[in-house]
Amino acid sequence: MRLAHLWDQSRCIGCGACIAACNAANYRSTTKDNPTWGGVQTNIKRIVFDLKEKPYILLVQCQHCENAPCVAVCPTGASYIDRDGLVKINPDLCIGCKYCMTACPYGMRWLDPDFGLPEKCMGETCQSRVKAGLMPVCVTVCPAGARAFGDLDDPNSEVNKRLKKGRVVRLLEYKGTRPKFFVVVGR
Amino acid sequence: MMFQEVWNPVIIGLFLWFAGIAGMGSVAYALMKLGKVEEKTKELSCVVFASIVLALVFVVADLSRPLNMPLAIIRSVLSGTFFYKLSTSWMTIGISLLSILLLLALLVLLRETVAKGLQKIVDAKWYLVLTGFVGFMVVIYSGFLIADAPGVPFWNNSLIPVLWILSASICAIAVLKILVHKPEVSNFLTKSGLAVDIAEAVALASLLNVSLYSGVEAARRSAEALVAGELAAAFWLLVVLVGVAVPMVLGFMLLRKEDRRLALLAAACALVGALALRILVLQAGIFLELSL
Ligand code: SF4
Ligand code: SF4
Repeated sequence: MRLAHLWDQSRCIGCGACIAACNAANYRSTTKDNPTWGGVQTNIKRIVFDLKEKPYILLVQCQHCENAPCVAVCPTGASYIDRDGLVKINPDLCIGCKYCMTACPYGMRWLDPDFGLPEKCMGETCQSRVKAGLMPVCVTVCPAGARAFGDLDDPNSEVNKRLKKGRVVRLLEYKGTRPKFFVVVGR
Repeated sequence: MMFQEVWNPVIIGLFLWFAGIAGMGSVAYALMKLGKVEEKTKELSCVVFASIVLALVFVVADLSRPLNMPLAIIRSVLSGTFFYKLSTSWMTIGISLLSILLLLALLVLLRETVAKGLQKIVDAKWYLVLTGFVGFMVVIYSGFLIADAPGVPFWNNSLIPVLWILSASICAIAVLKILVHKPEVSNFLTKSGLAVDIAEAVALASLLNVSLYSGVEAARRSAEALVAGELAAAFWLLVVLVGVAVPMVLGFMLLRKEDRRLALLAAACALVGALALRILVLQAGIFLELSL
């Protein structure tokens, strides 16, 4: 099983519902700051490219890399790739060395100021939802249908269907991380 | 300019600096004992042991979950994961190496101070070779620790471990220079110090040059910040002038005639420069930028 996320840039209307839903579901709607990225505590980062000719946004989150540097460098095994293909953190094993944060080429981990834990997608609520056969909250709440989630090993999964239809890029592929976060840039 | 704020540059800089002094200090201790040089080995063993302890204090000080550390490591060891991680994580290697060096250096310290009876073990060739080897590995680890972080391109560079070895050697030579008074030994230290100073200057220039022209935006911005940006004043003053140029000029003067006060000044400058180098390299780290 290789669970993966897809975000369709061409459908996204930039409403931020996924960001708010992640904050509500995984971080109890806290209004505390995200000390690493700024803004709210959520696992989705909004990056705005204010290029004069062609402004665009990227909504990025943990890429659940198949060859994950954060997992490789973690000294205790706290960061690991689960059988479902998702990269997870076991808080019991985490010493808070933050090596995973400096190793992630995507900068997709942020430090929880209360527990000192490096947070990232997926949060605990989303993990429980996926276990129960539901979609992560960001996928459920997206009003534009810009998000999909599913198993790359299942030819009928929503992710695979969309991968076949769209023009897709993966971020920083040259880093050899084999990311499982797909950005649809057109049809 | 958004410098990395994940690792505190001063705390981790001090950790890397003490780890370097402890590591290369152990190598120096082993070489001195194997070469039958007995002068100031007691003082050197104190410096090495204190440096490891301080290195550990500083590395723990930057953890965000220090209270969870003992149990987490025990759990990881008991499950066997820790041993597997030795093949992928420099942090795991470092935890192991620092623990071993702490033990080795403690026995050396005891042998040199209150428990001369340990001589049989500590003075044995195998023990000295092991201490020197583990010390050297600690220095290598302190370089690879940051060079192995692909999120920060300026660090993710093979020149960092080389620079760290050279800079740690300079620190060990400086410590010995402060401790040792004998003119022959001092002269030998001056010569080796000069050679390593020159090599460090080349490694530093290479790191900056590669980072400026490698085509990776984040690495270029880091190098620019050091050479001509926000960190330039500290870099040129503390790293280049105090850490490299002054010790080099004083080294050439000492080559002609050893002078205790000048030697002490050169050693102090070299130590300050090595610390500043680590802090500033850490501070200058900038994360990779994402784009389509
Ligand atoms: S995106 Fe970063 S945090 Fe997520 S799996 Fe890859 S390296 Fe780890
Ligand atoms: S901060 Fe925790 S999860 Fe990250 S590398 Fe260190 S021990 Fe592993």
